[in-house]
Amino acid sequence: MVHELLKGLSSAEADQVLALGSRVAVPSGGSLFRLGDTADRLFLTERGRIRLTLPMLVRGREEDILIEEKSPGETVGWSALVPPYRFTLSATAPLETEVIALPREALCTYCEISPVVGYKIGLNLAVLVGQRLQLVQAMWLREMQRTVELQAASVGENR
Amino acid sequence: MEMLLMGLCMAFIGVAFTTIAFVAATRPMSSAPTVQPQLPVVKAATTAHFFSDNEAPSIPLRPLVPIEVLLQQIENHVRLEHAAAESFVAFPTQALLHSKTTSPFVN
Repeated sequence: MVHELLKGLSSAEADQVLALGSRVAVPSGGSLFRLGDTADRLFLTERGRIRLTLPMLVRGREEDILIEEKSPGETVGWSALVPPYRFTLSATAPLETEVIALPREALCTYCEISPVVGYKIGLNLAVLVGQRLQLVQAMWLREMQRTVELQAASVGENR
Repeated sequence: MEMLLMGLCMAFIGVAFTTIAFVAATRPMSSAPTVQPQLPVVKAATTAHFFSDNEAPSIPLRPLVPIEVLLQQIENHVRLEHAAAESFVAFPTQALLHSKTTSPFVN
């Protein structure tokens, strides 16, 4: 399987990066990390699925609302590479899942030693962050548009 | 002498009229027996249909769905919005950005 974070790397380079990490099994319904936790590891999904959620008050109850779902090959927890190194979402497994946990320190050290690999990983990371930004930006604007339309409708009704 | 008596009489009558007018003006209102006009009795039921007795309220109230159903609706809405945003990111146009959602959560 080609991990999106390791695109463009030779299989030998990818194997070296993967060897920095360790496999973590998350049982169905288990938590990988919670919002606000220290982010010192990045996760590459190997098997199963990861739900990224944010807490929201629904009828006075705090509920985890789905933001994104990650499949095998996708990266979870890039907050580990971005200051202040705290997770800004919660991650749970809706089914039995396996991930490769890459410690930040080991990954950064490897990238310093192998700048070409570090450059490729950096570019792949930029794509992930950029895609998330573009998606959330579009979703936010669509919700804003709906709010504006609802406000205009309620003003029209009150006239 | 007659003139003096006439003057006194006029002065007395003037004082009497002034006193009567003063008493009438300063008499407390509560002392007057007041009669409240009878107001027509308004039935409370008629206020619910201010414009028409036949029309239902214009804003229909949504029945309160169970929280599990609501959460599922929210999740489906997020998935649909995510897909719509992905379409926009893949091919950014204003039409795709503002494409109408079919999500029942907001319709």
